[in-house]
Amino acid sequence: MSVSPATVVLRNVTKRFGDFTAVNDLSLEVRAGRIFGLLGPNGAGKTTTIRMIVNIFAPDSGQVELFGMRVTPPLQDRIGYLPEERGLYKKMKVGEQLRFFAELKNVNGKEADKRIDRWLERLKLSEWKAKKSSELSKGMQQKVQFITTVLHEPDLLILDEPFSGLDPVNVDLLKEIVLELKQAGKTIIFSTHQMEVAEKICDDICLINRSRKVLQGSIREVKRSFARNAVSLRVSGGDAVLADGSLVSKLDHHSDGVEVLLADHVNGQELLRQLLSSGATVEKFEMVEPSLHDIFIEKVTEIE
Amino acid sequence: MTKFLAVVKREYLQRVRTKFFAVMTVLGPVLLVVFTIVPGLLAGYKAGHDTRIAIVDQTDGKLYASIRSSLLKQDRGADDDASAAVAEAMNSNSRDRMQKAGRSFGSFFVEQVYAGGRPLADIKRELNARIGHDELEGYLVIPPDILQNSRSKVTYYGRNVSDEITRKQIEDRLNRAVRRERLIASGVKEQDVEELSKPIGMVTYPVNEKGEEGAEDSGAGFAMVFVVAFVIYITVLLYGQVVLGAIVEEKETRIAEILFSSVRSTTLMLGKLFGVSLLALTQMGIWVLAFGLLSVFGVGWLAAQGVNISGIGLPHLPALFFVYFFLFFMLGYFVFASIYVFIGSMVTTTQEGGQMAMPVVFLLVAALLMASPVIRSPNSSFAFWMSMFPFFSPITMLVRIVSQTPPVWQILLSLTIGVVTVVLLLFLASRIYRIGMLMYGKKASIPEVVRWIKQS
Repeated sequence: MSVSPATVVLRNVTKRFGDFTAVNDLSLEVRAGRIFGLLGPNGAGKTTTIRMIVNIFAPDSGQVELFGMRVTPPLQDRIGYLPEERGLYKKMKVGEQLRFFAELKNVNGKEADKRIDRWLERLKLSEWKAKKSSELSKGMQQKVQFITTVLHEPDLLILDEPFSGLDPVNVDLLKEIVLELKQAGKTIIFSTHQMEVAEKICDDICLINRSRKVLQGSIREVKRSFARNAVSLRVSGGDAVLADGSLVSKLDHHSDGVEVLLADHVNGQELLRQLLSSGATVEKFEMVEPSLHDIFIEKVTEIE
Repeated sequence: MTKFLAVVKREYLQRVRTKFFAVMTVLGPVLLVVFTIVPGLLAGYKAGHDTRIAIVDQTDGKLYASIRSSLLKQDRGADDDASAAVAEAMNSNSRDRMQKAGRSFGSFFVEQVYAGGRPLADIKRELNARIGHDELEGYLVIPPDILQNSRSKVTYYGRNVSDEITRKQIEDRLNRAVRRERLIASGVKEQDVEELSKPIGMVTYPVNEKGEEGAEDSGAGFAMVFVVAFVIYITVLLYGQVVLGAIVEEKETRIAEILFSSVRSTTLMLGKLFGVSLLALTQMGIWVLAFGLLSVFGVGWLAAQGVNISGIGLPHLPALFFVYFFLFFMLGYFVFASIYVFIGSMVTTTQEGGQMAMPVVFLLVAALLMASPVIRSPNSSFAFWMSMFPFFSPITMLVRIVSQTPPVWQILLSLTIGVVTVVLLLFLASRIYRIGMLMYGKKASIPEVVRWIKQS
């Protein structure tokens, strides 16, 4: 698929809890320096998969490899994990709290203090350093939690729904930081059911449903494979062209134009040529790609 | 190791700085005093006026004087006829004067009922009516043959017969008076009676297994065991809940997952236990230090002020005993603390844990109760097994050590069993903890716990 090495490799990983199979024969590869979207509906097995990657659970069968090695506790220090279920010690001051989490990742002393100050400033939380976390708003707490995941400069970042509950300004701020970290060569696993977000920042995705993988690949590949040969159009005139059954198989009128599903073997360029030569004025002409949202709905409902 | 220390440091510093800790450190000894002394005072405290008692003496007044003087004596130990005489004088003068003198604390007001040839039934009816009108608390009927017949019984009629303390007081004093009169009646000289009735003293010397006599045993050893047992009890009671809270904390705040991606569950759990234990030891340390300073400087100062407080200060015991006290205190603390850890690993909230921890307190009380049968036969096989049972041994083994020190191998075995129990409990707890942590909002059932233990 690509030349960049794999940061995380799962080989035929299965995890059961009693009779319930949370993850079934899952194989995937997360490549270095890319943002990997782990998508799926609630209860699909995303969190269990992540927990196996961060060594909270061991798989019943199959293998998990990190940075080309079998997972071991010391490797945990190279991972930054922001779980969906996250909290802070309510009565602890923000600064002390960050210091504690840094120490848990083997970052100590002045170096830890330096990084804490830098990150607090970056996330505009400097004046909250001496406050107890129970005094912070939910959004601020979330930013503090985000800092705990990046303080030790991990090579692999795992973010589970990092933006939920944040206002748009802070979403943008975090997104910017995530993209910077990617620029710096970090690998990022991003788990969400917000498809619009995933669509914008992920390079690769893996869709799991009911403990199995249903789809994997780069966003572009995935979208291309789901292309429906449709055009979104805003045009005055050219009604005859659009009514031609040999060109158009279906026409959907929206408030802001029409969506045209082309007949088989007709490409978009052909329609555009016909429209222009019929004297119509084309204001908007866009080949429609299915959104990740649509693909998600389609794949998930298809199985059920 | 650095992660372990980070956890210990956090647990310790977060708690040692709280107001609760400061308040408990100061209040602890105060409460201790309050709880040990106040119940004693309360039990002996009698509100309201004197107990007014009428005496129907059917021995033609032979006993009345003796009974009255015995009842009016404030201190049954003191042989102070003068004070009795004073009391008597006041009694014969007026009740008001006696109350003015402030003698309302557990004392009696006694009056004689003259039969005057009336039948007993009439006298009783009259006295019963007076009790009904709250003029009397009760009256005694002394049978005519009391001095001759040893089976003869005195009867007490009273409004409040559930006041066991007053009843006992009356009975004791009555006994003394009757015994005295019987002795005199049988020919003992009056002035010899008190002297001859004095209790004898017994001095105790221990003999060890080599047949050597030890120093006079003042009971200091037992006193120390009870102090240690009490300290274990208090520490467990105070800090068991703190341990439980610390173990449950991350489940309630949902930090578990972040922590588990950074640190092993066993490291985290042990870090928590040691952090809190360090806190408990800090508090004990402060208390012991304060007690030590008090006994070194305070006692000297008080003595200089002319206050006699002999008996405060460390008892003179073999140094090895203090090593044992320390070891078994630590064992006792950790055995019970690890039960709290174990419970904490299973539950999701502190409240749930509090309920489950109730039996721990029973176990602790049972351990205290075991001390008594073990004192009576410290070398019996019962005592042996009780001092091997890890939840009792911290107290029972200490009792054996101070009474008839068992062979060293038994002491070491008892310690080993205790340590193994602690390790085993913590090992099981760490397995439950790891999985239980991630199951938010759900209390583990027993089969689940068993499965988790096998699973992880």
